[in-house]
Amino acid sequence: MNKIKSLFVLCALTVAAASASAQNLNEMLINEVLVHNETSLVDGYGNRNGWIELLNSSYGSVDIGGCYLTDDLQNKKKYLIPKGDVSTKLAPRQVVVFYASGIGEQGTYYINFKLEPGKTIYFVSSDGRTVIDQVTIPADLGVDESYGRVHIEGTIDDTEFTKMSPSPNSQNGDLEAETKSQIMARTDPYGWIISLTSMSVVFSALIILFLIFKYIGKASVKYDRKNDSKDETTVPVAFKPKHTGKKDGNMPEVAAAIAMALDKECGNEVKAAIALALHMHLTSYVHDQESFVLTIKSHQTQWSDKRDMQLRKPIK
Amino acid sequence: MNTVLENIGEFLQFTGFANATWGHIIMIIIGLAFIYIAIKKEWEPLLLVPIGFGIIVGNIPLFPGLNVGIYEDGSVLNILYKGVQQGWYPPLIFLGIGAMTDFSALIANPKLMLIGAAAQLGIFGAYAIALAMGFSPSEAGAIGIIGGADGPTAIFLSSKLAPDLMGAIAVSAYSYMALVPVIQPPVMRLCTTKKERLIRMPAPRVVSQREKILFPIAGFLLTAFIVPSGLPLLGMLFFGNLLKESGVTRRLAETARGPLIDVVTILIGLTVGCSTQADKFLQPSSIMIFVLGFLSFVIATFGGVMFVKFINLFLKPGNKINPLIGNAGVSAVPDSARISNLEGLRYDKRNFLLMHAMGPNVAGVIGSAVAAGILLGFLG
Repeated sequence: MNKIKSLFVLCALTVAAASASAQNLNEMLINEVLVHNETSLVDGYGNRNGWIELLNSSYGSVDIGGCYLTDDLQNKKKYLIPKGDVSTKLAPRQVVVFYASGIGEQGTYYINFKLEPGKTIYFVSSDGRTVIDQVTIPADLGVDESYGRVHIEGTIDDTEFTKMSPSPNSQNGDLEAETKSQIMARTDPYGWIISLTSMSVVFSALIILFLIFKYIGKASVKYDRKNDSKDETTVPVAFKPKHTGKKDGNMPEVAAAIAMALDKECGNEVKAAIALALHMHLTSYVHDQESFVLTIKSHQTQWSDKRDMQLRKPIK
Repeated sequence: MNTVLENIGEFLQFTGFANATWGHIIMIIIGLAFIYIAIKKEWEPLLLVPIGFGIIVGNIPLFPGLNVGIYEDGSVLNILYKGVQQGWYPPLIFLGIGAMTDFSALIANPKLMLIGAAAQLGIFGAYAIALAMGFSPSEAGAIGIIGGADGPTAIFLSSKLAPDLMGAIAVSAYSYMALVPVIQPPVMRLCTTKKERLIRMPAPRVVSQREKILFPIAGFLLTAFIVPSGLPLLGMLFFGNLLKESGVTRRLAETARGPLIDVVTILIGLTVGCSTQADKFLQPSSIMIFVLGFLSFVIATFGGVMFVKFINLFLKPGNKINPLIGNAGVSAVPDSARISNLEGLRYDKRNFLLMHAMGPNVAGVIGSAVAAGILLGFLG
């Protein structure tokens, strides 16, 4: 039975890990394309070709080795991004450019088809079926003009494409976008807005928690009372636990009853034990690990030292 | 013979004596002072001894290129310091804190949670002052968190918002946590009347195991949904508490609150101390951070005490809260609660406030983690 459980847990973990990786792949985007290249990027062979820029928009690493690029939906496996190339593992928010040289044998980043205006480019998953992202190149895309995703204030807008100046190997849009800190310095120079907002959020969170536990507490007290009344027939009143939450009740009477019972039924040994426990508690010989549970650690003293307790051997 | 003398001369150039500067000497004296305070005064010794010794280790004058310094990639200290830089250690410490914290006092009297929220005023007060002093918002946020009186949270947030200031912020946070018995009582006395200090609070009710188990689950779900950026701290805090309260994971809870937190405390203390190298630490900004840290503690204490006085306006006689527990809203657990108790006993020998003060004290831990999450969300 334990083996089955372990197997189940292992399967669950494997599925979770696989789905996490696939989730990152699904966040791959075609970020920017350029068709007519006259002054833009030069490839490793000294040529100017059209190019496709992919972006890992996730916050995890993605290996795109084994995925495909194509401009033909009937042939989704047109260009296989080689597996086993360490450079195909993209860091979070990293971009990578593929040159559309039309000669796939030139290397990992040289695809075996040319880009044409009006055509649609597809990025296909490693299963060869699932289209992860696609973009249709405008028919009127000019020379040295790219078509890419709009990035607003550092965020990635994955719905809007626009014509723009080429920015291969870098994020699109305003590269000098302000950081959150800079925006805050401009919009809230004295810190009042953020302070008021934050204090409100902290208070709201703890007020909600307060309300939840106020009512949970009430419900719990009611529940315990109900259970107490059920046990009434079997447990003597004096020894019943009280969870009433009220400071009054019959606690003094119960305490008096316990004291009387102890006095009547227990000898001085019990009193001595209670006194010792209190003494040890107050002198830090005990460690209270659980609420309302007093644990007493053994403590070696001269009183309990066996060497002192044993009789000395008679001297000859 | 000449070669031997040349070798000895060359060797001397490698020694700390040849490379020492006044900065190194000052920092070593500061480290020794930390150790002295920790041992002699017993103020936060578990933190100040590792930090103090770390300061000494980090300020041994080194010949550059030996690959032993904390800022040299791949050195042992650098690898250990990654846990601080990347924010791994603080959540692990929170796991241990969760596993050793008893939230009973808070569950029994949930309105005490609000004191924990009010004391976070110190964070945002210091944030506003830091902005006025010319720090950038992200730096001000990292400095302000000192007012949360929570070392791991301060390290976590400063590693994300202002890594360059982290050493000064961490040392400042831990120093003032150790100085809670000195900083808080005057503020508490200044804000309260003698009559208020004598208020006796009703004994908290007994909390059932069921409620104790529900607390970390509900607390986590609520706070994490409101402030997801605080997930590492809040998740670990409540997870640790669930390990403690579930009753079926005793071994895990004991590991979390015992060996694990001890190991991480050693690593975090030593490496934070090491990171305070003279050339990085002895800057005007460090002095400003210390001033702001002090102010944040004062404002936090003031906020907590005044909020209790405000609540008391709406409470019936007999249900009023002693404002001396307001200071415990900062999350220096359990020192600030202990201060509440000592101050209470100072005016009434039979007024034990410890259990009552533990409520806002642990609420302060939650509050400062939430505040850190908010600052990270706004400024990160």
